[in-house]
Amino acid sequence: MVIGRLADGVLRGVDRVTTTVTDTVSEAFFEPTLRLGVTGLSQAGKTVFITSLVANLLDRGRMGRMQSVAGDRIEAAFLQPQPDDTLPRFDYERHLAALSAQQPRWPDSTRQISQLRLSFRIRPGGLLGGMRGARVQHVDIIDYPGEWLLDLVLLDKDYAQWSREVLGRMSHRPFAADCLSALQATDPAIPHDEGVAQALTEGFTSYLQSARKAGLPDITPGRFLLPGDLAGSPVLTFVPLPEGGGRGSLGREMTRRFEAYKSQVIRPFFRDHFARIDRQVVLADILGAIHAGPEAVDRLGQTLTELLAAFRPGRSAWLTRLLGGKRVERLLFAATKADHLHHSQHPRLTAILTALLRQSRDRADFAGARTEALALAALRATIEEQHIRDGQTLDCVRGTLAESGKQAAFFAGELPADPMQLIGPARDGAARWLEADFQIMRFAPAPLIRKTGDGLPHIRLDTAAEFLIGDLLR
Amino acid sequence: MSTRKPHLFELDDGAHIDPGAAPPPPDDETPPQGRAMQAALRAGRVRLSVWARLGWAALAGFVMLVASVTAWDFVTGLLARNAALGYLGLVLLGGVVLAAIWLVAREWAGFRRLRRIDRLRRQAEAARESANRAEADAMLAALGTLYAARPEMRWPIARLRDTAPDQLDTDALIDLGEATLMPPLDAAATREVEAAARQVALLTAMIPLALVDVLAALVTNLRMIRRIAEIYGGRTGTLGNLRLLRGVIAHLVATGAVAVGEDMLGSVASGSMLSKLSRRFGEGVVNGALTARLGIAAMDVCRPLPFTTLQRPRTSAIMSRALTGVFDKAP
Repeated sequence: MVIGRLADGVLRGVDRVTTTVTDTVSEAFFEPTLRLGVTGLSQAGKTVFITSLVANLLDRGRMGRMQSVAGDRIEAAFLQPQPDDTLPRFDYERHLAALSAQQPRWPDSTRQISQLRLSFRIRPGGLLGGMRGARVQHVDIIDYPGEWLLDLVLLDKDYAQWSREVLGRMSHRPFAADCLSALQATDPAIPHDEGVAQALTEGFTSYLQSARKAGLPDITPGRFLLPGDLAGSPVLTFVPLPEGGGRGSLGREMTRRFEAYKSQVIRPFFRDHFARIDRQVVLADILGAIHAGPEAVDRLGQTLTELLAAFRPGRSAWLTRLLGGKRVERLLFAATKADHLHHSQHPRLTAILTALLRQSRDRADFAGARTEALALAALRATIEEQHIRDGQTLDCVRGTLAESGKQAAFFAGELPADPMQLIGPARDGAARWLEADFQIMRFAPAPLIRKTGDGLPHIRLDTAAEFLIGDLLR
Repeated sequence: MSTRKPHLFELDDGAHIDPGAAPPPPDDETPPQGRAMQAALRAGRVRLSVWARLGWAALAGFVMLVASVTAWDFVTGLLARNAALGYLGLVLLGGVVLAAIWLVAREWAGFRRLRRIDRLRRQAEAARESANRAEADAMLAALGTLYAARPEMRWPIARLRDTAPDQLDTDALIDLGEATLMPPLDAAATREVEAAARQVALLTAMIPLALVDVLAALVTNLRMIRRIAEIYGGRTGTLGNLRLLRGVIAHLVATGAVAVGEDMLGSVASGSMLSKLSRRFGEGVVNGALTARLGIAAMDVCRPLPFTTLQRPRTSAIMSRALTGVFDKAP
């Protein structure tokens, strides 16, 4: 068995090296491919980002800040079937239909992994431009549930550490009390019983669901919320328990399943989809986190930082790339849903994002990757207006409220000029903002009036696209 | 934070919004627009209505009348008081009048030269239309006399005289005339445009004052247009120069070349990098590119033969040469 596993590992390694080598060779000489990783926790706006990016790259009327668009270098762009035969295609048409319906709505949250390939024909420029023909550039984009992403953090932890952290966090969350007392009442030394394990898992899963509802981003293991076809299998039936227990005990069995979850669920996902990413955008719903409270902001920052540690930023040398070691060359941190805030506050939003992810950014910069942070809205749902209240002119955004469907203009309050005013209390574990007064209303997308050649309305999506893929389209 | 609390305004006006049509948030990184040159071009484009022009003319006439009557009264009064001083005043006044006459004559001569260029151009076009060889011959001979005094033109003129009889077709003859006579002049004019583009680019990038850079751009452009007119044989006076500027700007507007596309920076080698380096430099580059376009339009207007066989110089080529000069160490 051990030998079988070893051989399997070796074979897989050889397989990976050969595929990367053939991929690299064909890329280098024929049609280069770029893998764009769109990373973000659930509800950060990954699906809308991808849909709008694709729509805007197909109809480039609103992408004026991309140099290849301004210079009219892109001859054509079209959607290809994705290269991976075993993955579903990103359902671009359905998401676009949801956004551009008569009564537009945000697309459903992602429940499975999917992929899309966008191909460009690019007219070369420069001195020798006239002598070469058009070249082809592929961009592969991957969508997956944000919940699954969180599991990457588990790769570096063992069961005891994970249990300690989760139980510690549960202890100061009121809605976790029932589940926590059930877990703590369980003695890990009792013999393993599947019925007990399942009952505990059920309680733990419902705790995870309420944590997600409260806007807290640290909900591991992510597959418990979106199990897919693994539902009910032993690998998804474990809970954090205090340490203890010998051979055949409940505690030992939980440890085994945790390790199995890491090696059979998380690692393949990471290996197949994240290890080969060239450019990456990290989407974060900062506004939503601020609205949810200090704990959500703190957890968001920590979770994203832990996540980004799983990626390898930096410039990859030609040889390492050939041998399968790709690195993330460019990293974009984007605060999404910027259209819910008047543009005068966008710089502050960007500053908060930058301060929150300071550590990751410094690390990536040090490794030689290029990083950038900005506030964007992949689909703009509001317009900006000024309203007067109590003699003060308030910079509002106006749109259709997602809850009531009514038109309203909303002033969200003011973000602090110094991001540490938010992050400081969040790190100190404050229960709620003291002086802060800030709220977010959810807006529904506005009915679209599209002109020929124009993509979806957005804010700074062209700047983001220029940073992420612009240099390859010239 | 502040006392400004979040607030929701319920709006029941039933109006629907269109975020697609809303203006994008103004960013600090909007592409440079060439503000100084745009302002200078606007200044050159101002057109007065008939009544305004009549009013200004009446005012100018009145002021001149007052000035001349006052001067006359002053001199005659002086004569009555003291003959010697009076004669001195009279002589000085005569000098002023002579200088004014000389100025007017110079302006008039400038206009005449411009008209002559215009006439030659029309003649060339008419000859080409009607395939009238005699007219084309006469036109080329007139062009020869116009440039006869210039040493650098002696050889092209002689060569044209030698080769012209070989060409039987009228349009071939005019093409030959253009290909033989124009290159040295075009080269000189292109150098002028390059110098002006470089100067405007540098000035507008360096001068931090809003109106002064507009003025600098306007002055540089006026000088460039005057020199181009001189090169093609239409030396002008001040009024003629202004008139020429308006003609050039009208030509530029008619060809739609005043719009700053975002490609403007891209057309310049290293332009995009410059604009990333500094916004002011980006502005300078765009201003320079607009100056280059104005210069090309001026060449179009001042050239006695329209561009047919020879190629009109391109903005991007002019800009890349002009900007290479900026980074040279030599002054």
